[in-house]
Amino acid sequence: MKPINELIQQDGAIQDRSIYWDEDIYQKEMEHIFARCWLFLTHDSVIPETGDYQVTTMGEDNVIVARQKDGGLKAFVNSCTHRGNYVCFSEGGNARSFVCPYHGWAFGIDGELDDVPLEEQAYFNDIDKQSLGLQQVRVESYKGFIFGTFDLDAPSLVDYLGGMAWYIDSFMDVPGGMELIGPPMKSILNCNWKNPSENFIGDGYHVGWAHASALEIAGGALESMKGLNDYSPDSGLQVTVPEGHGFGVIWDAAAALHPGPPGIAYQKWLDQRSPIVREKLGKTREKFYNGHWDATIFPNCSFLYGTNTFKVWQPRGPRQIEVFTWTLVEKEMPEELQQMIHADNMLTFGTAGILESDDGENFENCTHANRGFATRQGRVYLGMARGRERTDAEMPGLVSDGWVNETSTRGMYRRWAELMQGTPWAKLSVTAKTDAYK
Amino acid sequence: MSVKIQQQAAGDVVDHITHFEVASFLTREARALDEERYHEWLDQMLTQDIVYQLPTEEVRYRRDKKVIGTAQTTYLYNDNHAVLSMRVARFDTGFLWAEDPPVRIRRYISNVDAMWAEVPGEVDVWSNFIVYRSRGQRDDSTMYGRRKDKLRKVDGQWRLAGRVITLDQRVILDKNVHCFF
Repeated sequence: MKPINELIQQDGAIQDRSIYWDEDIYQKEMEHIFARCWLFLTHDSVIPETGDYQVTTMGEDNVIVARQKDGGLKAFVNSCTHRGNYVCFSEGGNARSFVCPYHGWAFGIDGELDDVPLEEQAYFNDIDKQSLGLQQVRVESYKGFIFGTFDLDAPSLVDYLGGMAWYIDSFMDVPGGMELIGPPMKSILNCNWKNPSENFIGDGYHVGWAHASALEIAGGALESMKGLNDYSPDSGLQVTVPEGHGFGVIWDAAAALHPGPPGIAYQKWLDQRSPIVREKLGKTREKFYNGHWDATIFPNCSFLYGTNTFKVWQPRGPRQIEVFTWTLVEKEMPEELQQMIHADNMLTFGTAGILESDDGENFENCTHANRGFATRQGRVYLGMARGRERTDAEMPGLVSDGWVNETSTRGMYRRWAELMQGTPWAKLSVTAKTDAYK
Repeated sequence: MSVKIQQQAAGDVVDHITHFEVASFLTREARALDEERYHEWLDQMLTQDIVYQLPTEEVRYRRDKKVIGTAQTTYLYNDNHAVLSMRVARFDTGFLWAEDPPVRIRRYISNVDAMWAEVPGEVDVWSNFIVYRSRGQRDDSTMYGRRKDKLRKVDGQWRLAGRVITLDQRVILDKNVHCFF
């Protein structure tokens, strides 16, 4: 493995191709990124009642996150502390306990070891059950979005989100908040996890080209982008925060990928809610509320606000991911509107979606072209609009005009490099405070 | 004379001729799709009121039937004729890079079981499928599943009025299910 400052150069603009292919780099990512960062687990709305649970992964670690009797949350590793077998084989549901099918060890919904068969006769009551609970994961949630980390030294989730929290509040802080409609769709892509993360964090460039066929048939506000013929940098913005998160926004385009009656209904809803957002969060964030976002919360949680697809790219080795896809809606939206948005999300970014299928091919091929030894010695380039980033009196982090931009993508790789160097939390970059972001 | 009425009762296995017609229809439909004759499929093989669905099912314990939180049936396909036409129109744009060079798709339809449906003249048809896709030079995948179809005669010809597709994979082990089953 080359030194990190050779893997990522020119302030995030240059990536060594080995980072999308090499097993040793991937294992370092598991250690320095996935075992340290806050990773998205699920949402409050998915597991509201005692015993409700979901099984997911953090990196390649299989974890269960469960609603507790006191309404709190716990997450723990899905692996029996006796011989290591999984204790849960469903992907979610409601449980009173998790019983290992190998020897019958029974764990509570808090992950504690409750019952061991033949405890008296075979262990002679000489077993310290308290020390044999399932390995606990640190859990926190932000506005209903539940994250976990294996790193006890990690900052709080809100500090981990850093300046991004100020931006995502634009929609997470609406009355009633957001919820996710699941269960998630799940599919395999044979690509490195960073390919989709970088696509969602800041690849506005591909929209008009890769998705030209979908833009043509769907029509709507983005159709003029088809073939990359028409675009103005005034139409949006990119944002990166030092914590590695970022997004691009197209102004006044939240409903752009909902052609026809759903788009009209959604626009009506946005117009109705806007004054509430302005009142609560100010004019700038009202503008964000009405925009269409492509975003990634570092490292692997991405969403399109507006289209309202919400995804996690679960790494499965350097060249494979498992994609989880939910639909993001406002809790207070009428049921009918939620269902229209859910249906549109399936049609665009579902596993049979007309935009998803374009992206999947590109992600896989961007990874697999690097199988060639000589190819892999080369680099790839993210230099668009470099040097045009600026700070803003109100907006945290760095902003740059234009949603066709690579500012937020470079930010993701700056953070990647910082973490891969094993930088301790106290020395990792954080968002500078502004009057608005404190 | 009463024999004919009994044959038409909902749930009755269809007569030999009807079974033959229905099975032939499914074979012809599969070949039309294999050969990318999508407009013929839309215009001559589907009814205007078709409902074309592919729901996902969670992997859950048998005894745990509780619907938790916001969970609902998520449909990978939940299309009417207009949406299916839109998907087909995408092939015609000339911008569908992923399908150029063309993807080769082969559909194998078997285990056809047909019964008269509740609505007189309609037939419920179950069939299993294997769909093989080959892309580029060496990228391929195989998917297995079942379909429950509703067929109806329009102007003397069988047409597909409803299809519910079940894929046996919970996690789709391919990058998408961007093909008709």
